[in-house]
Amino acid sequence: MEERLFSLVLALLATEAGLTKAEILSTVQGYRQRYEPSGENTTLERQFERDKDDIRELGVPLETIDTPGEPGNNQSLRYRIPRTAYELPADITFSPAETALLNLAAMAWQEGSLSRESRRALLKLRSIGVETSDPVLGYAPRIRTRDAAFGPLSDALSKRVTASFSYLKPGDPAARYRTVEPLALVQHQGRWHLKAIDQAVKQQRTFLLSRITGAVKLGRLPLPADTGSYAASALEELDRIWEGNVAEIQVRPGTDAAVRLSRRRGASVEPGDRILLHFTDANLLADELAGFGPEVRVIGPGTLVDAVVQRLEAAIRRHGDPVSAPAGEAR
Amino acid sequence: MAAEATPFTYAQDKLTFLLALVPYLLDIGRVSVTDAAAHFQVTEKQIRDAVSLIAVSGVPGETTQYQHGDLFDISWDDFDERDEIVITHKVALDDSPRFSAREAAALIAGLQYLQSLPENVDGGVYSSLMDKLARGASERPSQVAVARSETTGSLAEVRDAVARGRRLEFDYLSSRGSQERRLVDPLRIDSDDENWYLRAWDRVRGAVRTFRLDRMTGLRVTDEPVDAHGELPIGDSLFQGGDDDLVVTLELDATALSMLGEFVASVDPRRLDAGPDAPAGSSGRVRVRIRVAHLHGLKRLVTSLSWTVTVIEPAEARAAVVDWAEEALARYRQPLDTVQDAGGNTAGPGLA
Repeated sequence: MEERLFSLVLALLATEAGLTKAEILSTVQGYRQRYEPSGENTTLERQFERDKDDIRELGVPLETIDTPGEPGNNQSLRYRIPRTAYELPADITFSPAETALLNLAAMAWQEGSLSRESRRALLKLRSIGVETSDPVLGYAPRIRTRDAAFGPLSDALSKRVTASFSYLKPGDPAARYRTVEPLALVQHQGRWHLKAIDQAVKQQRTFLLSRITGAVKLGRLPLPADTGSYAASALEELDRIWEGNVAEIQVRPGTDAAVRLSRRRGASVEPGDRILLHFTDANLLADELAGFGPEVRVIGPGTLVDAVVQRLEAAIRRHGDPVSAPAGEAR
Repeated sequence: MAAEATPFTYAQDKLTFLLALVPYLLDIGRVSVTDAAAHFQVTEKQIRDAVSLIAVSGVPGETTQYQHGDLFDISWDDFDERDEIVITHKVALDDSPRFSAREAAALIAGLQYLQSLPENVDGGVYSSLMDKLARGASERPSQVAVARSETTGSLAEVRDAVARGRRLEFDYLSSRGSQERRLVDPLRIDSDDENWYLRAWDRVRGAVRTFRLDRMTGLRVTDEPVDAHGELPIGDSLFQGGDDDLVVTLELDATALSMLGEFVASVDPRRLDAGPDAPAGSSGRVRVRIRVAHLHGLKRLVTSLSWTVTVIEPAEARAAVVDWAEEALARYRQPLDTVQDAGGNTAGPGLA
């Protein structure tokens, strides 16, 4: 299969004027063997459509041009890959030290949803022949993308299509179905967030990927090209929220909570074993603080106290009585 | 980077390799299969297969018949007899391809993440690199970003010890709640999103152990050099199972599985409570078995996920969760001023 894709890229790079679909299917290796001069060639055409998507995803700029005098005629549409848009500009070079950093950046994605992308990016880097200096030794950084929604949402983002999903907002009785125009995916405080325009209200919203339930469905129609720096502004916004929310907590000295919470970014240690902590989301912080059990007592804000108490009560409720075996459970 | 030597699974990745390899070969003129494999961090077989394919590839040409001059050619003598690659005729391809929007975005987000490392790298180096990646992409990089992760102050000292190969000494609060002075040979710093860990040879236990950086206090970089440990298998998993691990069965919403992270050992695919009215998709309850070293870690995990997780068995795990939550709730029943540390561990690193 890569033979056919390789031949397609070579043929389209070599042509100035472009090739029509019929010319491609009848002459390019991998297609021509299966081309029927008098037939419909629908299977082959579908194959070509998929191949086009595949090579575009790799960053190969596949261009279509109308034949003069026949605008909009699909059959006379010509395909080509313009060299200047295909080739890495000659002035882009990387020093060995820079290459070492890029290797480490790619390594951070080793098992995430972007692992293939980062591996391909490294192949392209090595293509320009830079020698890699010693790797930055002694690190194994990892960016996790454990949320199942990350893959489909990053797809939606790069294809610029809408995404639909059920979203369970804390406090809501049930998940609600949303259709959004994705703008950015950002990780803040170890959590992935989606910045998107909620189509129902035509306004920007920030969604936590961990609150998406069920499958993410992608739309078909392309959205207008985006130009904003949504990722940077989404992170700034989350930072502002983080800055504005402060929780006051009392900790037992010498415990895990005391040691770890006092060393958080922005944590301030107060007299009486109290710690002031910034946070972005009261429910996420409540989850975490409930986990510390008796090592912490939340003093404020009241909503956070309530949220932690609710979680502790839920833990007792869930485990207070013997387990009733669910129907159909055979052992 | 052992994972990189694995062969490509997808045609897209194989194609990228071909498009990357040709300009490299043209530029270098002559290279051995061994050196090319080392450069691209692939196997020699992958190089030979790719070169064999390139040598019979080309463009349809004027005749549309893939005549000899329309194809790449290599010096077959060099290739067959000396295992060296020389391209003697090229078509269509000259230069390296641009990055795709997502490829550039992945590296840019990776660099953002790395900015929190205490390396002596000027911030300007990062921004110039990100700018080059963006300019080298065929489209605007996708909007993916990672906030600079939080690092505790000790990261710089730990990094220094790793780089200079010096032993480290620190007080470590285990998740069991016990505090001990540890003496270790540091091996590698791992991170998992915003959490930082030291993988080290524990000199007392004679084994590789993982330490959370935010649980270390009283850190001291000693002057003693570390022992040579050769190629110690550190492994990618932060949590190594032991023989005395406890196997615990949990029940939770399928959508919350990702919250268990590395704890999940096996997932029972059976959905529970998924009646006829249950919506399609992964919204049912599932049971999973996880391995934990002891109940201290488990009760914390379960209590933090009490909106969805129920421990099914063993019974002592259920009891541990109840005790933990009860004790915590009891604190809220006391007036604030009298909340004191009852069983006080005063030897610990108390807060100033």
